[in-house]
Amino acid sequence: MNRREFLAAGSAVAAASALPSFALADDKTIQVYSGSDNNIIDFWNNTIIPAFQKANPGLKVKLIDAGDDNGLRAIADRALAALKSKADPQADVFENFDARLPAGGVDAGLWVTFSAANVPNFGKVNPKAIDMPQQLPYRGSQVLLAYDKTRLDAKDAPKTWEQLVAWIKKNPGQFIYNRPDKGGSGGNFVRRAIHEVNGRDPSKFTIANFSADYAEKSLTPAWAALKDIAPSLYEKGAYTSGNTQSIQLLSQGVVTMVPVWSDQVLQAISQGVLPETTGLVQLTDLALCGGFSRLTVFSNGANKDAALKLADFLLTSEMQSAVITQIGGFPGVTWDNIAADLREKYKDVVPTSIPTFPGGDWNAAINDGWYRNVATGLARG
Amino acid sequence: MADTAIPSAIGGSEPAIGRGLKGLLLVAIPVFLVGWLIIYPIIAAILSTLFVDGPQGVHFSTASYQFFFSDPYSRANLALTLWTTGLCAVLLLLVGLPIALYLRFSTSRFADLVQSLAIFPMFVPSIILSYALIRTIGPNGTLDILLNAIGLPKIPSPYLTPWGPVIGLVWDNLPLTVLMLTAGLGSISNSAVEAARDVGAGPIRVFWHIILPRMGNSILVTISFTVLGIFSSFTLPYVLGPASPEMMGPFMLRTFNDLYDPLNAKTQAVISFVFCLFFGLFYVWSIARNQRSQTR
Repeated sequence: MNRREFLAAGSAVAAASALPSFALADDKTIQVYSGSDNNIIDFWNNTIIPAFQKANPGLKVKLIDAGDDNGLRAIADRALAALKSKADPQADVFENFDARLPAGGVDAGLWVTFSAANVPNFGKVNPKAIDMPQQLPYRGSQVLLAYDKTRLDAKDAPKTWEQLVAWIKKNPGQFIYNRPDKGGSGGNFVRRAIHEVNGRDPSKFTIANFSADYAEKSLTPAWAALKDIAPSLYEKGAYTSGNTQSIQLLSQGVVTMVPVWSDQVLQAISQGVLPETTGLVQLTDLALCGGFSRLTVFSNGANKDAALKLADFLLTSEMQSAVITQIGGFPGVTWDNIAADLREKYKDVVPTSIPTFPGGDWNAAINDGWYRNVATGLARG
Repeated sequence: MADTAIPSAIGGSEPAIGRGLKGLLLVAIPVFLVGWLIIYPIIAAILSTLFVDGPQGVHFSTASYQFFFSDPYSRANLALTLWTTGLCAVLLLLVGLPIALYLRFSTSRFADLVQSLAIFPMFVPSIILSYALIRTIGPNGTLDILLNAIGLPKIPSPYLTPWGPVIGLVWDNLPLTVLMLTAGLGSISNSAVEAARDVGAGPIRVFWHIILPRMGNSILVTISFTVLGIFSSFTLPYVLGPASPEMMGPFMLRTFNDLYDPLNAKTQAVISFVFCLFFGLFYVWSIARNQRSQTR
């Protein structure tokens, strides 16, 4: 083989290997990007995708782990640029994303607006969970308090914020929460403190009513309340750097109680990371905040219709039951759309109300305020 | 750059110039990459912190720097970073030097084992190291269980205190320190050490008068390298350190990501860069000094 023949053969091989990626364009492969934790990625790969592909022959789902929310933001920016130049964003679905980003995306029509017309099951969605029609809440979880039943009797577990604070002060070093920006369990504990000092009324906080003055006025008393319990926390005011680390301290028997995400703690118990003697309790005067994972669909994705089918499929009672049984989450649909036996079994963790706290500018105000006011100023040895 | 260089290299009647151009061509790619990916972003970052978009257009302002240095919270973070970096550098030398000396002068097979143990941390990702440290020296960790078993009290856990990252960073940077110090010790000839011993010098005198003066340079290089790495470290201080004060790495990320404040994040980055530049210059200076002494 002379050199020219070799080059010709070589380029033919290279072209052949490039073929599958060309073929991908007209194949019905829905590109789903997720920035969620591994348990969710596993849930999609092992449960949702096989079931969906079985129910819809000819459609394929490809789940791409974007790492975290920042990974998704970069792809969303790219998709917004693609929308303006009428190009294919090569992405169809985000597994969990805030449709308020990228800025101007909603106005430009980047996201599909969900309704019963394009997603037949949309009517089943829990109205409390709907935030904006560009987002489809399909699974949720809430922050609870997890405690060691061998050290705290279930009947003495605190049921209100006041009892919780009294318990923390009576048992110094036995409670810890994570830094509010590093994980939602600590973040929503902090938000519960904010609710407490503002008359336990979540409706006082919306994305639109944020202003620096209002934040100053409403958050400052919360910092005082959190500072007040700081000396009674683990190591006189230490804060773990994430949800997992809090669970680790509970499992090592270092502390007696931590705030946890409901799905994470149920999974930790079922995997044996936390012992069977782990108790769960929710505050009854006002629950700790929760949140829903919201699916978004690109309006300019190549497989928009297939993506909407996938969105609809997620709301079927089969998938919504799997959310409860497999990842310990809450369904995105109302509870009357869930099988009766499941409803009965999980009635203890079924929230009667899920208070939420708005994101947007409040996030930055809470994170910065907490670091500057609560985390500092403690002499620790 | 390449287009202008190639014809003259081919048609060059003077071979010396042709060779020089070829040499330039070889370094052109790395120089271009450094310029594009490092120098340009640095200059862009510095400029964007000094020329800010205001209501009346872009104008010169040092407000973000004034804010950083007048803000006790930011200053505490910087102080903690300097404290951690300095302490780690000292500890690394104290731990690394004896190991390096042992590896240089021992001829036993046990030394091979020590060497592989000393290099081992290089292959452990820091995120795994962090969780392993929580498990071992964290509260109720392995160490506490062992101490408890022989009736001793628990250790005060370094987890979530400034000492957590210090322990992790020293462990993580030990291989590089030992490797560089061992390389530096390689330039000390056995004959010099033996000659000193023959005239009756004890081990401390040999170390002080023969070994140390000859490895000053490699100690400088080691310190500047580890300092650069530790100053900008992220994972270990993030997982093991306290919420506040925090090291510059986590602080920058938090400012950028959680507070949506690129201007202050960039300011923090520029300030970190200036400190690292100082150690970088130190390194360049010691390399240059070394080359001069070798050519002499």
